[in-house]
Amino acid sequence: MKKLHPASVAVRSLSRSLNTGFVFFIIGVVVSPGGNGMDLLSIVGLVVLGIITGIVYEFAYYQRFRYELTADTFDVTSGVLSRRTRELPLGRVQNVDIRQNVVDRLLGIAAVHIETAGGGETEVSLRYVSETEAHRLRRQLRQGTRTEAEDTDSLEGEEAAVGSTAETAEEEELLFEIQPRELVILSVFTIDPGASVLGGIALSFASGFDPTTLVPADRISGLPGPATGAFALVWAILVFLLAAWLISAILTFTRYYGFRLTRSGDELYYERGLLQHYSGTIPFEKVQALTISEAIPFRWFGYAALSVETAGYAPGQSDSRGTESAIPLADADRVVALARAIEPFGPIDLESPPRRARERYAVRYLLVVAASVAGAFAVARYTPLDRWYIAAVLVAVVPVAAHLKWTNRGFHTGERYVLTQTGFWRRTTKIVPYYRVQAVLHEATIFQRRRHLASVTADTASSASFFGRAATAHDIDADRGLEVQAAIEKQLQERLRVRKRQQPADRWAQDSSDPTDDTSMVDNDDPC
Amino acid sequence: MERLTPRVRIVWLVLALARAAIIGGFIVGGAIGLSRTELGDAVPVAIVPAAAVIAVALAVIRVFIAWRRYGIWRFELRDDDLYIRRGVFTRTKTVVPFVRVQHVDSRRSPLERAVGLATVVVYTAGSRSSDVAIPGLTPARAEALQESLRRLAIESAGEDAV
Repeated sequence: MKKLHPASVAVRSLSRSLNTGFVFFIIGVVVSPGGNGMDLLSIVGLVVLGIITGIVYEFAYYQRFRYELTADTFDVTSGVLSRRTRELPLGRVQNVDIRQNVVDRLLGIAAVHIETAGGGETEVSLRYVSETEAHRLRRQLRQGTRTEAEDTDSLEGEEAAVGSTAETAEEEELLFEIQPRELVILSVFTIDPGASVLGGIALSFASGFDPTTLVPADRISGLPGPATGAFALVWAILVFLLAAWLISAILTFTRYYGFRLTRSGDELYYERGLLQHYSGTIPFEKVQALTISEAIPFRWFGYAALSVETAGYAPGQSDSRGTESAIPLADADRVVALARAIEPFGPIDLESPPRRARERYAVRYLLVVAASVAGAFAVARYTPLDRWYIAAVLVAVVPVAAHLKWTNRGFHTGERYVLTQTGFWRRTTKIVPYYRVQAVLHEATIFQRRRHLASVTADTASSASFFGRAATAHDIDADRGLEVQAAIEKQLQERLRVRKRQQPADRWAQDSSDPTDDTSMVDNDDPC
Repeated sequence: MERLTPRVRIVWLVLALARAAIIGGFIVGGAIGLSRTELGDAVPVAIVPAAAVIAVALAVIRVFIAWRRYGIWRFELRDDDLYIRRGVFTRTKTVVPFVRVQHVDSRRSPLERAVGLATVVVYTAGSRSSDVAIPGLTPARAEALQESLRRLAIESAGEDAV
């Protein structure tokens, strides 16, 4: 049984005491009325008490925490007050992530997070172990599952078939490295919601908590009275937006600086980050679905992003800050090529929804326009504003919007994969292998039924679909939808039979490798 | 295609009426409360009857949905999968392959016990509304269904869900 890195006591108690100290500070402020010296002393006392409690707790945590990597499980014993022993079968590990912030890097320690499919949270977090230990763990956690798999199936033979040697596992093949140009474009056009808050804080510090100093009063004093106020307001908003945008660009830049994606054997390995360093692995056989997304400013430049979904976590989940296991930005062609390297799907040859779906969107948008005209009318009635009917100009946009929505939607059922696409502002194309499908849903709302339309969803265990981003073919003909539903299910059974034939029914080796897909790396999926 | 036991309508009707009563209570109570306060002079006199009409209309819609739901609900154990058709407004046809069944629950709420019915819930590792419940089964049928689902799931197994 191993312990954590001793420095983790210091780092953990630092962050812990900041938390508890802050809580006690608030309590102190609330409890003590007024602001004389006596109260200040009690506040300081409470803060110190909070910090000491934090340090003691973290020391106990460090003392109690033990982990061990056995031949087929990863065991963790932890807990100060309530104690817990956890055993993860290695074959069930979905992702292993390593995170380091600036302090961690100075101390040479790292946080290791291990994900399995069960539950929404990270199953095991080791905070912190030494850097070398972190990388050793990552390697061994994967190798453990691999050697286990090798006992039962012919993984090595299959790998040889794709022209790689048995040592592929040790060799790293660079799949993607972010180019400076791509990084700049990504930084400039990404809007980080947190940046506006930070921008506001930075501005208020810069102005010495007096917003008026930021407005060039001497320049605009010549303007007549009301114009001065309006100008000052616009100026302030512009300065704020500029600050938020700058900070957002800087944050994005540091986040994706040095992004690399490599393939080693049967897993993907990513690293990124300038100040905070992130790295981790995604085993190929745990990939549930791939998502290629092309958001609007990037699509104009011919760029796209790729995310690899597993059942462990989804990119963008909780604190993982955006797309971990994904390519943040690259040439659309390159992204598709990379996606094919992971899941060799055929050409993206999509079947459009019927034209009456477009009518449906037009009607929907007309209703929105009608509602906004009504809203404008109500506003005009109770305020000095008139000419409410100007809102009706929006009608001109309706056909365009409906067409764009319609034209960006489509689906394709290939030999091994089902592809779905939707979204104009952020066009996402999902690639789901049939054997990952959990259930197939054919849904028709009352409005869809009027036009004999339906939506077909291929549900997977990918955690991304918890956020309503499942692979759905929207508004296809209802009868065609039934065909598609039946086809997906038939293909699922077929693919499972193929996989079963190629793998003996050993319990934990089942999901360790998919030879069918490995061999198909060389040839294309389906010509149809 | 198998239909549910007709008695399930009793369960749904009672639930629909109970929910309609709660929401109706809020609407009518709110209207009465509003007309009693000082604001009461500003609001029209008809607010309380209007609220009552809305509450009754909502109740009627709920009862109608509960009644229609029975007519639409169908399920079938096919060769490789469980097929379910349901939904009054949004018509959903779900296919759950037996291979994907993680576990099967059978449960009975107090109301269901009162009319002698049970619900079978089928879980998959999927994420989106693919955990399906089949209500309105007689306890014997529920047990048989659970048993055959379990058997079919094991027979078709051999692949991990995730």
